[in-house]
Amino acid sequence: MASTAHPMAVCVAVIAKENYPLFIITIPTENELKFYYTVHTSLDVVEEKISSIGKNTTEARELYLGLLYPTEDYKVYGYVTNTKVKFVLVLESTNTTLRDNDIRTMFKKLHNAYVDMLCNPFYTPGENITSRNFENIVTAMMQQD
Amino acid sequence: MSRQAARGTDIRKVNGELFTLTYGALVSQLMKDYENDEEVNKQLEKMGYNIGVRLIEDFLARANIGRCNDFRETADIISKVAFKMYLGITPVISNWSPSGDEFSLLIENNPLIDFVELPDGHNALNYSNLLTGVLKGALEMVQMDVDVRFVQDQLKGDNLTELRLKFVKRLEDAIPAGED
Repeated sequence: MASTAHPMAVCVAVIAKENYPLFIITIPTENELKFYYTVHTSLDVVEEKISSIGKNTTEARELYLGLLYPTEDYKVYGYVTNTKVKFVLVLESTNTTLRDNDIRTMFKKLHNAYVDMLCNPFYTPGENITSRNFENIVTAMMQQD
Repeated sequence: MSRQAARGTDIRKVNGELFTLTYGALVSQLMKDYENDEEVNKQLEKMGYNIGVRLIEDFLARANIGRCNDFRETADIISKVAFKMYLGITPVISNWSPSGDEFSLLIENNPLIDFVELPDGHNALNYSNLLTGVLKGALEMVQMDVDVRFVQDQLKGDNLTELRLKFVKRLEDAIPAGED
């Protein structure tokens, strides 16, 4: 398979249940602020989705939220755990090779990495994430093609 | 009598992750209380020692083995029976000293350190130091004074965890004063 320069994701963020960021990493290191802003605005959409789905259905809400909103350059996907920790993935709009299932798999990997990191007795939940293992898994996910 | 007979077969299973998380909570609480890596190492060894002097009784009751004839046999039993029984792993014995009184236990998948990452600035902490105390205490109860220390630690970047055991001397039971 010819390797293109396209990374899978340009930005990955982990947000605590109180809606402050625990971990954000972006690929293009210039203009990081733009991504922080995108992630921040996507939180409103996340909140909307969790509150609306909970009231309408009696069955358990799914963790994967799907496409939150598309901008002209990027697509933003969301995932919420049952402890209200949110994962946000920002993909380039030009990256059409990724299907819904691939994104679900990415979120599952993120969730598993997060849980493993949480089991470290030296990590206090709610703290900024500084685990090298977690960072390695995320960067591997972002650069893979 | 019936309660004693049941001991050999009554091995209650505890979830491995629960065990790992419990040990992790123990170490992180010790870190908060003492704030000094060396002090925490000492406390872990002390606790391990207290566990070891009791654990040896349980081990001898379950394993049903006789006295070891020499230090090599002891090493085999520690690795193949004791570690297997309590932690479910079998460390590799290696690096025997030429005089046969010192050897290494090489552990690849230490269940105590699953998911653990040492925080920065705490490189002096021997996270699994409980093990050194357990071995020392247990062997002391079978009349062996053994020195146990960590040579390599997976949490500090090495490929495996290596424990070095050195036979110091045989302990004689002290005869109480007043008896011949």
